[in-house]
Amino acid sequence: MLKEKPEWLRMLFPWEQKALRVNGRTMAYIDEGNPEGRPVLLLSGNPTWGFLYRDFIRPLAEAGFRAIAPDWVGCGYSDHPRIDAAFTMAHHIADLVSLMDQLKLRGFVIVGQDWGGPQGVGAALQRRERLSALVLMNTWLFTGYVGKFHSSPRPWTTWHAPLIGQFFMKRVKVLSHQGPAAVSRRGMTAEEARAYHHVFDEPDSDHVVLTWPRTIPLREGDRGWADMQAIERRLPELGGVPTLLLWAPEDNVFPVEYAHRLKELLPHAEGPVLFANAAHFLQDDRGLDLARATVEFLDRTVGVTR
Amino acid sequence: MNFIIPSAEELSYLRADPLLWEQELDVRPEVAEAIEKAVGFRAGRVHWRSEHDHLYGLELADLGRGRPSMAMVYGHWDRYEPRPPEHEIDSDLMDFILWVADSAPTLNPSDVSRVAQFAGLRPTWPDGSVLRTPEDRFANLPGFPYEPRYVEVEGLRMAFVEQGEGDPILMLHGEPTWGYLYRHMIPPLAKAGRVIVPDLIGFGRSDKPVADHAYSYKSHVRWMRRFIIALGLQRVTLVGQDWGGSIGLRVLAQMPERFQRLVAMNTGIGGGFNPGEGFMGWRIFSQRAKELDLPRMMKSAVRRRTLTDAEAAAYGAPFPSADYQTGALVFPRLVPVRPDHPGAYDNRVAIDKLKTLKLPVLLPWSDSDPITGPWEAYLRKLFPNVAPPLTIKSAGHFLQEDAGEEIAGHIRRWMAET
Repeated sequence: MLKEKPEWLRMLFPWEQKALRVNGRTMAYIDEGNPEGRPVLLLSGNPTWGFLYRDFIRPLAEAGFRAIAPDWVGCGYSDHPRIDAAFTMAHHIADLVSLMDQLKLRGFVIVGQDWGGPQGVGAALQRRERLSALVLMNTWLFTGYVGKFHSSPRPWTTWHAPLIGQFFMKRVKVLSHQGPAAVSRRGMTAEEARAYHHVFDEPDSDHVVLTWPRTIPLREGDRGWADMQAIERRLPELGGVPTLLLWAPEDNVFPVEYAHRLKELLPHAEGPVLFANAAHFLQDDRGLDLARATVEFLDRTVGVTR
Repeated sequence: MNFIIPSAEELSYLRADPLLWEQELDVRPEVAEAIEKAVGFRAGRVHWRSEHDHLYGLELADLGRGRPSMAMVYGHWDRYEPRPPEHEIDSDLMDFILWVADSAPTLNPSDVSRVAQFAGLRPTWPDGSVLRTPEDRFANLPGFPYEPRYVEVEGLRMAFVEQGEGDPILMLHGEPTWGYLYRHMIPPLAKAGRVIVPDLIGFGRSDKPVADHAYSYKSHVRWMRRFIIALGLQRVTLVGQDWGGSIGLRVLAQMPERFQRLVAMNTGIGGGFNPGEGFMGWRIFSQRAKELDLPRMMKSAVRRRTLTDAEAAAYGAPFPSADYQTGALVFPRLVPVRPDHPGAYDNRVAIDKLKTLKLPVLLPWSDSDPITGPWEAYLRKLFPNVAPPLTIKSAGHFLQEDAGEEIAGHIRRWMAET
């Protein structure tokens, strides 16, 4: 069912890729650490996959947690259908809800960055009673504020414009093949860069890289507008959930203003704890430090036992 | 195939997943023409509700050839929820393609059926996906000597017990009990009619799918509807408590012609709002629990009398381990507590229908149920032909245990009057 992981990748990412059927498609995930421990869902965004969280797995497992890093449908080792309707925000959320249900996760923690934020929180709101804590990094859950990067035509809105987007994103693969390495602060090895992009090597396998930018809600009527508003409206339900904001202020996609807006909406949240020398993919730049902060926060608030 | 026009509101709570698509439909022009003839247009979208109560859409596009040349079939599911089990979708699509074959002069539906059989397309539950409680768990139940009977609904075995003769009195239990809950009411009511007490799927002696997503409000309603059809019940007096009422009221709205009376007790039909602290507390507790200790829970919930150990154990009998409890564990979160929650819209549609029903309604209600207290007033306003209030004093949520014989007496007197 799953593609075989190449040998060179096993050196960097030794964990076994497991799989489930969600909404008729295969969703890959790794599931490591204490199976009885509190489940921590590590959610990546565009255009990455579970590999982004590789520095989180050992610290979480050693602290007694159960680390689960799924790949969104369209990413990593999950199915890569070439169908827009499989990549709506609602569909991604329903995919994660299905994974949570099938793994019977209770008392889980959502760790989300980029699209992992709204999609993870969207799914958690569907299973609110089973959510125990939230860790959000360089993401957003609202429509009211749009930063410069997302609204500016160079390069973002041009990169994903109709027809033009097909050329840049899918033919030239500006994001899926070059994105993570291009903004890395610590400098990636060629193998690490390849780990991010080899899952998008097949032609047309990177459809999600195009649909996600087109889902960013800039104005009413945009693809993701209604869903993002639904999430924002329901944020008060998270009032009792221990929440931590970890932030890379040097990220130009989600600068620290986004963290401040999140803090207004989730006033009980801790942080934002700022991490310098990290850009948009902060888990890659400063993975171990973020993992340590996450473990410390979870130990202090919800603990490792459910 | 009955095509319908869903409201914009309903569609806004759903998402559309493409299930079948054909970009060059005109490879078989006669099929395109047949579909065009049947739906009445060559471009646009029609919807229908399937046997499984799911909503589907067929979209036709005319790409300039003068007849439909592209077709897509969508499934419309609850917006953020996993879609229904694949075998339900397969079976619905099968019904659809049989309709297509029926409409197209050059296709033969029986050929389609044969091809489907060849493809192994039969809605079945894979091995290990359904548990069946061993019969010896039900040996020597105090006060419940009835021989179980079974019917099959959608490949699942549904159990019920039956006593007496005459018009059916269908009594539905809820979370987290089973037919055993009605044991004090069966003998007195069996003198007034044919008492039928089924176990919901996931409970009692009925089959128990293991997966969370096998259970939904919709699937419970459907299973109950099929149960009623399988037994051919008519002129039914419906008695429902807790989820038994929530499911029963939906079934009643779908086929009111089969019912002559309604007894709703300690139950509700959520239109998508917060039903109060009592329920929300239970919902959170149950969703965090790994397993429910039912004998203990039932002992503390029954107020007027003390359950013996053997009686309390009977409530744990259907569940040899936590694996068997999926249905009980998911039930609290299937209650629609927000307007966009699965089932909320269907319930509002059902409520509109219930308002128009003239059947006599009796509402025996506990004065000390922390969960469904406010619902009595709501249901009282809903039905035009409702009997005066019937308060069961110092009874808790499971009033069949607290005051079973007493309520049965009230029901018999009320049945004689109506």
